[in-house]
Amino acid sequence: MEIHPQLLIFAISLIAIFALAALAKVMRLGGDARIADEDEARRLADEVSDGFVAEQVALDPSGCAALLKDAEGRIMLIKRHGNQFAGRILTKDAKAEVATGTIYIDSGERQFGGAHIEHDEASVSLSIWADAINRLGRPEDA
Amino acid sequence: MPDFSPTQYAIPLFVIAVLAEMLWSRFRRPDAYEPKDTLVSLAFGLGSTIAGTLFGGFALYVFIEAYEYRVFDFGAEWWSVWWAWPLCFMLDDLKYYWVHRAGHRIRWMWAAHVNHHSSQHYNLSTALRQTWTGSFTFGLLFALPLVLLGFHPAMIAICGGFNLIYQFWIHTEAINRMPRWFEAVMNTPSHHRVHHATNPRYLDRNYAGVFIIWDKMFGTFEPETDEERIRYGIVKQLGSFNLLWSVFHEWIGMLSDIWRAPWKHKLSYLLREPGWTHDGSRDTSDTIRARWLARQSPANPASNPVADRNPIADGHEAA
Repeated sequence: MEIHPQLLIFAISLIAIFALAALAKVMRLGGDARIADEDEARRLADEVSDGFVAEQVALDPSGCAALLKDAEGRIMLIKRHGNQFAGRILTKDAKAEVATGTIYIDSGERQFGGAHIEHDEASVSLSIWADAINRLGRPEDA
Repeated sequence: MPDFSPTQYAIPLFVIAVLAEMLWSRFRRPDAYEPKDTLVSLAFGLGSTIAGTLFGGFALYVFIEAYEYRVFDFGAEWWSVWWAWPLCFMLDDLKYYWVHRAGHRIRWMWAAHVNHHSSQHYNLSTALRQTWTGSFTFGLLFALPLVLLGFHPAMIAICGGFNLIYQFWIHTEAINRMPRWFEAVMNTPSHHRVHHATNPRYLDRNYAGVFIIWDKMFGTFEPETDEERIRYGIVKQLGSFNLLWSVFHEWIGMLSDIWRAPWKHKLSYLLREPGWTHDGSRDTSDTIRARWLARQSPANPASNPVADRNPIADGHEAA
């Protein structure tokens, strides 16, 4: 059987791509990025949206996600993406659900997704966050 | 006519260089690579070659037709005119500067170019994150003056290939600064890190391909400072490793904006800068920089919260 040279190049390239990505995994590149503390969460928020000054922070104990609120009432979700972090200022499309000691925030962007945040303290504070998120875009917040 | 594609010959070199940088990363900066990000970057590279083969024919047709109307004629053996090669390379690099600048300042062009910036990493695999959709922009128009001057489309393609190969090695954090004379004239890892940065001070700067002199001439040069950690990617980071979303997200965003916009603003969503909205509800790179600059004024001495985490800034060693 004769294989078209272009098809062969494509197949070899595809194998090389997976081999390199696998090698990166084997070599344990990437590391384990975590948000160390609230100060780091604030710094990340400023990176997500330049000038965002967080007044309240809810940091997941694992350091994988954080919720932040600024003086204007804007709420930002930061979540781990690979070994980096990405964030969104939440809009009316966002939804939040509270279970025991945990809040799940859906950013409303299908590709960005959402994040879980646990809270060591009484879950009442999570309810406050959830209410604030679920109220976004409603007339009283306008 | 020579049938030669320099980028094809360079592919093994690219693979070896990525391997070498991975080894460097393993021992010096494990966070410089991330397996999923690398996979997406490399898949971008493969996909772009397929897209170029499938959709590049139209540009080739336009160039060959335009060549018939050339002002100067280098003769049937145009490839043997030695001085035409460096001249073509230089002019092609000038063309690259402008098409690249348009790629950042016109949303239609940005929709295709954003792919190259969508990684939050800056390594040699990022260099291979090339567009799949460049053929669906008007980028080819920037090369037409060269064709009309008399440079054969094949000569322009070969020069463009070498230009692309040059740009590969500058996508790295493994090299801090090159010698001063080199930094003054050539595009370098330091200059191009600035270009890939999302820090307000760096937005829409250093568009150069090979020669940084174009940025210095046209007022878009910004040197890398050791005082601030560079953050890579795009202003609104994707937060996703979905390859198809990475390829098409800006096209989807732009077309949905055009669909929803009032008629008198539809064209602006195509031709104005990324982030522009008719109601001012989003940020452009200009508004982000202006806001940042306002905070830097003596009356508002904002601290620099990221300075102490800059691995590139540590001394004069490679990061």
